[in-house]
Amino acid sequence: MEKIDFMKSEYYRNRELSWLSFDERVLGEARDKSLPLFERLKFLSITASNLDEFFMIRVASLKDMVHAKYTKKDIAGLSASEQLELILKATHDLVNLQYSTYNRSLLPALKQQGFTLVTQHENLTKEQKAFVDRYFQENVYPVLTPMAVDSSRPFPLIRNKSLNIGALILEKGEEGVYDFATVQVPSVLPRIVELPEGKDGERRAILLEEIIERNIGQLFLNYDVICAHPYRIMRNADLTIDEDEAADLLKEIQKQLKKRQWGEVIRLEVEDGMDERLLRVLKKEFEIKEADIFQISGPLDLTFLMKMYGMDGFDEYKTSNYRPQPVPDMMTDEDIFTQIRNGDILLHHPYMTFDPVVNFVKQAAKDPNVLAIKQTLYRVSGNSPIIAALAQAAENGKQVSVLVELKARFDEQNNILWAKMLEKAGCHVIYGLKGLKTHSKITLVVRREEDGIRRYVHLGTGNYNDSTAKLYTDCGLLTCAEPIGEDATAVFNMLSGYSEPKSWNKLIVAPIWLRKRFLKLIGRETRNALEGKPGHIIAKMNSLCDKEIIAALYEASAAGVKIELIIRGICCLKVGIPGVSENITVRSIVGNFLEHARIFYFYNDGKEEIYMGSADWMPRNLDKRVEILFPIECERLKKEARHILDVQLADNVKASLLQKDGTYEKIDKRGKALVCAQEYFCREAVERAAKPEEHEIDRVFIPAEHIE
Amino acid sequence: MQYKIFAAIDIGSYEVGMKIYELSRAKGIKELDSVTYRMELGKEAYAAGKISVEKIENLCALLQSFKTIMAGYKVNGYRACATSAMRETKNRVIIQDYLEKKTGLKIEILSNSEQRFLDYMSIASSENEFNKIIQKGTAIVDVGGGSVQISLFDKDRLISTQNIRIGNLRIRERLSAFEKEVPHIERVIAEMVSSDLMSFKKMYLKDREIKNLIVVGDNLNDVAKVSSMTAAEFKNLYELVTEYSIDEAAERLDVPAESIYMLIPSLVIHKWFIEACGVETVWIPGLDLNDGMAYEYAQQNKILKKGHDFEEDIIASARNMAKRYMCSKTHSKALEDISLEIYDKTKKLHGLDARKRLLLQIAAILHSCGKYISFSNVAECSYSIIMSTEIIGLSEREREIIANIVRYNTQEFHYYETVEREAGITKEDYLTVAKLTAILRVANALDRSHRQKFKDVRITLKENELVIAVDTSEDISLEKGLFSDKADFFQEVFSVRPVIKKKKVR
Repeated sequence: MEKIDFMKSEYYRNRELSWLSFDERVLGEARDKSLPLFERLKFLSITASNLDEFFMIRVASLKDMVHAKYTKKDIAGLSASEQLELILKATHDLVNLQYSTYNRSLLPALKQQGFTLVTQHENLTKEQKAFVDRYFQENVYPVLTPMAVDSSRPFPLIRNKSLNIGALILEKGEEGVYDFATVQVPSVLPRIVELPEGKDGERRAILLEEIIERNIGQLFLNYDVICAHPYRIMRNADLTIDEDEAADLLKEIQKQLKKRQWGEVIRLEVEDGMDERLLRVLKKEFEIKEADIFQISGPLDLTFLMKMYGMDGFDEYKTSNYRPQPVPDMMTDEDIFTQIRNGDILLHHPYMTFDPVVNFVKQAAKDPNVLAIKQTLYRVSGNSPIIAALAQAAENGKQVSVLVELKARFDEQNNILWAKMLEKAGCHVIYGLKGLKTHSKITLVVRREEDGIRRYVHLGTGNYNDSTAKLYTDCGLLTCAEPIGEDATAVFNMLSGYSEPKSWNKLIVAPIWLRKRFLKLIGRETRNALEGKPGHIIAKMNSLCDKEIIAALYEASAAGVKIELIIRGICCLKVGIPGVSENITVRSIVGNFLEHARIFYFYNDGKEEIYMGSADWMPRNLDKRVEILFPIECERLKKEARHILDVQLADNVKASLLQKDGTYEKIDKRGKALVCAQEYFCREAVERAAKPEEHEIDRVFIPAEHIE
Repeated sequence: MQYKIFAAIDIGSYEVGMKIYELSRAKGIKELDSVTYRMELGKEAYAAGKISVEKIENLCALLQSFKTIMAGYKVNGYRACATSAMRETKNRVIIQDYLEKKTGLKIEILSNSEQRFLDYMSIASSENEFNKIIQKGTAIVDVGGGSVQISLFDKDRLISTQNIRIGNLRIRERLSAFEKEVPHIERVIAEMVSSDLMSFKKMYLKDREIKNLIVVGDNLNDVAKVSSMTAAEFKNLYELVTEYSIDEAAERLDVPAESIYMLIPSLVIHKWFIEACGVETVWIPGLDLNDGMAYEYAQQNKILKKGHDFEEDIIASARNMAKRYMCSKTHSKALEDISLEIYDKTKKLHGLDARKRLLLQIAAILHSCGKYISFSNVAECSYSIIMSTEIIGLSEREREIIANIVRYNTQEFHYYETVEREAGITKEDYLTVAKLTAILRVANALDRSHRQKFKDVRITLKENELVIAVDTSEDISLEKGLFSDKADFFQEVFSVRPVIKKKKVR
């Protein structure tokens, strides 16, 4: 048989395009008429903020590569400019779909439910006009800063991601020569302005930019306003190079530093039907190409829909808030340390409450026998009870070491603030290893007990963030197993800058050991399959784009290993390639909660192994971060973890299957009982909390009834 | 709580490390935490005899961070020991004081024999396995940054030890100038160490069969990832390390390249041993100085049961040495018995502890070793032999006490006021020397003829006299006649006069 080169680029999908199809799946939720209306608004808003982030990080990065004449091809064999071309095309399609969803589906549906968004100020009634004019005078006008451009005043700096109104103005009495003027729609004012209710109790609103547009004349009193239209830009202002790119890119960029156009505009969104002359001015000033201009048929920046979701009322059009349930193993009156000594505890958020994790730190802070608390923090909530507990612990004389990751994207400033606060409280704050983001989620409590020092450890797949723990699905393990305790100590020693430990008992740590271990685990299944034994891998994660891992999966599939992947976001693997990936299925679950856990199952010739961790199968996770993969070893918990995977594999409501052509399609439900994994887990958690003593689960699970 | 937390700090020549232990009778020695930090103090110390200010500052900061970790465990005790790098530093006294003042830690600079003894203790701490190994011919190769210590067992007793200055870091330092030009550095190293090892074999190993090699001090354990290997397995490892580049070998063995780099010199030494002595098994307990400190602490605090009797090793080593220098076995034995008998009966007078009894015993065993070299200058020759022969388990200070006792056994005693300036001996040690010399002299006088006439002596301490009653039919006029000199000195030291009384033969 001819040997297949599993690394061939045609076997791989570009990650950006794969990401765009993820955003499309989110958009699919906004288009799903079976969902409550306001949930759909939320999903549409998410697609918009996702896309903004995507441009700022990924597209900006690709633009850098083009400028730097960086020629290295991506996993799918595409150069940066080829990728940009494909991305822009796909993005234009995605944006069109966003707005057709908004205009054709959501706005009419809102109106039907008694909420009218007046799309153009021209359509306001007389009374409404009077209302908005008064609103403008009282609230808006004082905070506006209109700026005109003429021979003596240069083009002003337009802020990244801000919404603006551009206008062409002509001095009264003059003819022909018009000037450009612009005003930022103030971000301090609510974007949605509610109008007085109609007689029938119907609610109405208009967007702030429409109010400003209507009154634009007042800003340029000595001028006639020829036209005025909203626009929005996105800049390549992020000075950091995206960490996913190779180190040689960084060098390249540094060399090209002078040539790089800082703050270059990489996307311009304008209202559809903008006056040609105005558009020309913008195009020239922002030096932007046609392909990077998005003509939008509707309001720019759809993230305002999140605010609409938050409006009072309309509760019947929102999914009622799920209340995370108590953890069955922890419903006794014993203290948390006793509970953990009774046996390892598996946490599954948000179905189970995050409280035990917070309490773990809180109780440790108060417990007189606790000597030390060590924790890694990546992103925490604004008013984090964990941080308060850590500070309290330090004040109580515990030795508290906290690893604060300052490089957490978009959270840098926030992280610096509370790092300082922790230091003030007497915590020992460490900032991790040079060049490596600490992404692992681990907490260690050292306790002096009657029969010796005992270590309690929490390991998780998600951040120590009590707010997002209500929205993200994550797993966690509480244990006082000695081998893990020893490893936990070693992790913190390593993070404190001491020499790496000589060996690990149970934990597998990136960057040095994790990739090798994954390849070994996959390779073991391949070997078994080649020997005629069954091979099976189930892996759940957020993204899969590591070439070496994918090639190993192809090899395993070719050898006959059954591979079931549950990947929410990016997936550079292609399914159904003859002889390469026929035994691989990829499903993506996009639901109310953000799928976030990473769980890895290996059949291992019957001696099944299950791992959980903080790492995706992405180069950055495996090579440039400190990540921890931990085994689930207690048989009872292994069953539970497998159960989580099984239910997800059975989902046919929120899951989409990756097709040969790279598209995702919802599963054909005909003749099948409907299973929505997220709903299933919700219900199961409620039941188990009611009867905590009998929560043993069967491998065979009962499919849920579909809820209309 | 039934346990103690102990911290051990090892300031080594290329690494500084600390381990935290939980010590209990129930669970024995349990390692809780271990941190190491690469810091090549030895590099500068071996080359220039000094450690730079910058390094010292780094060391201070590191020790401070160790202190924080210690506080985190609320340790009950600690020990911080520096080894060869610090030992070979000319200004060690200044550095030691600076470190102590700056960190508040008490820092000991170990002599070579103290260091090796702790290493030895670490091996012995895993008692069952250790006892099994040493039943067959065994050697310990203890590799340090500066030197290698080779100790030999006879049956289950450690009987001799030698220090050869071919430590890992020292060898690498010497080679560093030209190692890049040499394709097979291990061959150069083999040449470097072979002359020393060959003479060691000729003089100490002879035809001794060494089946077991216990390796401590290097990082063979991290690289091999096992605690024992056969000679063949060792050979495979050796070939892997030497045939591939360091980076490739590191990749294959899944260890940092630095570990391999530092390991090569000791691999060469182990290989030589295996081939020269027919070693069958290489034992790699993976323990270090810190483990030895923990073991000693646990012993001293009676947390652990008494294990291997290290004093028996010291006695066996001394006897082996006496044999080597052809001391009279029977005379030594008689002297040993009598002097210990006197020692035991005069406890009230000398007030010394059991350890000093051991020193007296060793002095008795070795008292005439200098005769091997010169009959007319026995005292000085014995002194020199003892001063330059290491005995695992004895500190240098203890060895000096023994050497002095032996010297003054036959030589005129020098008073403290005169020796203080030349030898730098402490007042306390000086008193020990005086007391034990007085005892040894009396005992020696009793067997002047070397014919063991005083086989059955009964010693009784009376008010002003130490009565030595002897039951013999032989003529003891020689001993009696020469006794008064020795008695004078004894009386001077203890204010009690020894007198010989011969029982009437019925």
